[in-house]
Amino acid sequence: MTTIASEYGNENNSVPIEHRFNPYSDNGGTVLGIAGEDFAILAGDTRIVSGYNIDSRYEPKVFDVGDNIVMTANGFAADGAALIDRFKSAFKWYKFDNNNKKLTIQSAARYIQHLLYGKRFFPFYVSTLIAGLDEEGKGAVYSYDPVGSYEREQCRAGGAAASLIMPFLDNQVNFKNQFEPGSDGRVKKPLRYLSLEEVLALVRDAFTSATERHIQVGDGLEVLIVTKDGIKKVYYPLKRD
Amino acid sequence: MNHDPFYWGRPSDETYGHYNHAIANAKSQIPTSHTQQPIITGTSVLALKFKNGVAIAADNMGSYGSLLRFNNIERLIRVGTETIVGISGDISDLQYIERLLHQLQTEEEVYDSDGGHNLRAPHVHEYLSRVMYNRRLKMDPLWNAIIVAGFSDDRTPFLRYVDLLGVTYGSLALATGFGAHLAVPLLRKLVPYDADYEKVSEEQARVAIADSLRVLYYRDARSSDKYTFAVLTFENDKINVDYKQDLKVENQSWRFAENLIGYGSKQQ
Amino acid sequence: MKAVENGSTSIGIKAKDGVVLAVEKIVNSKLLVPGKNKRIQTIDRHIGVAYSGLLPDGRHFVNRGRDEASTYSNMYKEPVSIPHLMDRLGLYVQNYTCYNSVRPFGVVSIVGGVDANGPHLYMIEPSGTYWGYTGAATGKGRQTAKSELEKLNFEELTVREAVKHAARIIRQAHEDNKDKDYELEITWCSLEETGGQHQFVPEDLLQEAIKFAQEEDDEDDEDEEDTEMAT
Repeated sequence: MTTIASEYGNENNSVPIEHRFNPYSDNGGTVLGIAGEDFAILAGDTRIVSGYNIDSRYEPKVFDVGDNIVMTANGFAADGAALIDRFKSAFKWYKFDNNNKKLTIQSAARYIQHLLYGKRFFPFYVSTLIAGLDEEGKGAVYSYDPVGSYEREQCRAGGAAASLIMPFLDNQVNFKNQFEPGSDGRVKKPLRYLSLEEVLALVRDAFTSATERHIQVGDGLEVLIVTKDGIKKVYYPLKRD
Repeated sequence: MNHDPFYWGRPSDETYGHYNHAIANAKSQIPTSHTQQPIITGTSVLALKFKNGVAIAADNMGSYGSLLRFNNIERLIRVGTETIVGISGDISDLQYIERLLHQLQTEEEVYDSDGGHNLRAPHVHEYLSRVMYNRRLKMDPLWNAIIVAGFSDDRTPFLRYVDLLGVTYGSLALATGFGAHLAVPLLRKLVPYDADYEKVSEEQARVAIADSLRVLYYRDARSSDKYTFAVLTFENDKINVDYKQDLKVENQSWRFAENLIGYGSKQQ
Repeated sequence: MKAVENGSTSIGIKAKDGVVLAVEKIVNSKLLVPGKNKRIQTIDRHIGVAYSGLLPDGRHFVNRGRDEASTYSNMYKEPVSIPHLMDRLGLYVQNYTCYNSVRPFGVVSIVGGVDANGPHLYMIEPSGTYWGYTGAATGKGRQTAKSELEKLNFEELTVREAVKHAARIIRQAHEDNKDKDYELEITWCSLEETGGQHQFVPEDLLQEAIKFAQEEDDEDDEDEEDTEMAT
C-alpha cells in the first residue's frame, strides 16, 4: 500500500499496489460423454495434476448424482467439486420440495445453467458434462461452458485433451468427413446409433491416445454407464508416465 | 417506546428523526485488502499410508523469506483422538486454523452430552476444505497447504490434501511444497499403486518418511533437521497415536556435497 | 419464579478437590430411553451446569455460557475463569429483567467447575443474582436438600464422597414426590479424578452411589421404626 496525499491535508487516499491472488489453478484431466440409443456414458481419467506434478493417480471425478444422472466438472478441481456438491444439495431439496418427483435430465440441465450463470462474474472454471436418459429413454449428454451456456449433444469431450478427442469423436460418432464408398465424396455416410460395445471401444481408444499425447492425462479411466437399469462403473488402467 | 429488540439502543425516531441508513452502509474509501502473500512460512509436510495406519511428519522451522526466523514451530496438530492435521505455508494462518480446529473439537466433543458423534479425519478434512474454499471465494485465502491424516469410519487409513484454493485430493503418498517434488517419488517407489498401501508395513513407512525428510533437509534450503513425526496405527480394535516431537534427521552424510560445484550440474 | 420452584431438584456440592453436580430427573413416561436425554450440560471442558425450571431457557443459558467461554479462550488462549464467566452470565441474565418486551429466565442454574484457582460453585437466579456456594440446591426439593447439605463437612469432603452424598440427598429430596419415578444424573469435575474435565461420573461409581443412597434410606426407615416402637 502506498499512501498518496491529496491537496487536502486531512484527506489521504490509499491506493493498493496490484498484487493479486490468483484464485484459479488447472488440475488437468479430461472427460468425455457419449449418448447411445438407450444408454449414455460419462468417462474421465483419474489423474489430478498441478503444474508438472502428478498430485494423485486416483481421484474420481465422474459422479452419480441421483435419478440416473451422472455428472462431471473438469478443469479447476475445487470449483468442479463445489459445483457437483451444489448440484447434489439442490437435487435433495428438489426431492423434498416436490414430493419426491423424478428430476428429468432436461430439468437438471437447466438447473446447472443457473448454478453456473449465478457465478457469471467469478466463474466456476470447469467444463461440465452430464449424461442420462431423456423422457423417451434415449441417451442424452449435455455440455456447458464455464458460465452456463449449454446444449444437448450426441457426444462431447471436455478438459485438457478436449481438442485432441473432439475431432476424433466428430469423425467416429457423428461420421463427419465420412462418405458413402463410391459416391466420390458427395453422399454422407448416414448417421446411426452406436452400440455400447462400440462406444466403450471409442472411449478407450480416445483416452489411450490422449494419454500418449497429453501430459495431464493418464493413470486410469473411469467410465459411468447409464442404462434404464441403473448406473454401472468400470475402470481401465491407463499409462502412468 | 418501540419494543422491537431490533431497535434497542438506537436513536429514537421521535427525537432524532428517521435514521439515515446510508451512513451505516457507506462504503469505505479504502478498498479492503487481503492476504496477498505468506509472511512466515513452514515448508513441506509428508505423509504416507501403510497397512494399518498413516505416518505424517513436518519439521519445526518457520522461515521469514530466507531468514530462519523460528525453529520451534509445531506444524502437526492433533484433532480429537485419532486425527493429525499437518500444515505448511503461512504460520499465522496455521495458528488461526489451529484455533478453528480446537473450536470444532469443543463443539463436537464437549457440547455433546449424549455421546453420539465421533470426530474423525474425513470430517475434519471436509470442514477444512470448506473453510479453505470459502476463503478463496472471498479472495482472502488462508495461505496454506494442509494434509489430514487419520482413519475413515470403517477404520481404514485416511489421507487427504487441501490447499489455499480449496483443491482437494487423496493418495497413498502425499507431500506439500518442495516435498511434492522430492519426497513423493521416494514414497511412491515403495508403493506404485494406490490400492497397494496394504503391502507396506509400519516400519517401511517410518523409514521411507525419515529418508525423505533427510533428502529434503539436503536439498530444501528452508527445511530443518528438527521435526515432529506422528504414526497412527489401528491394532486390536484400538487406535494408537505415536506422536514424537524434537526428532533429528539421522544418518546425514554430506559426502555428496564435496565435489559439488555451482548448482550441481557440472562436476569438477 | 413459580416454574423454577416446582422444577425437579438440582444440587451442587463444592468439595475440597472439585465439584459435583446432580439432578433428579422425573421420568414422565416409561417410553423415555433410560440413560438418555441428559440434563446436566458442559459449558467448557472444565465447567458444568445443572438447572431447574424451564428447560429450554436453561439450554439458552448454556448456549450463552458456551459463547462466552469460547470467545474468552479464543481471545486469551486460556480457559475462562469461573468467577469471570459468572460475571458475564450475571449481566446477561439480568438484562432480561430490564425490558418489558422480554421475560426473565425461567431457570435457576448451578454452575460448577475447576479453574486455575481451584474449584468453584455458583448458583444464579432469574434476577441475575448469583452467589458462590459450598452447597447449592434448587427446584422442588431444595428445602430438604439444603438442610442436608448444611450437615456436610465441606473442608474434608472429597468429590468421590460427595458423589455418594449427592445421590443420597437427591433421594431424600425426592421423598415428598414419591409417586413419581426419577432417574439420577451426576457429573463431577476435579483435578485428581477427571484431570480438570467436567464429566459424567463412571457407571460403576453412579451405581455405587445409588446403592449407598438406598442403604442410608433403609437405615433411616429402620431408625424411624425403632423410634415408633419406643413410643
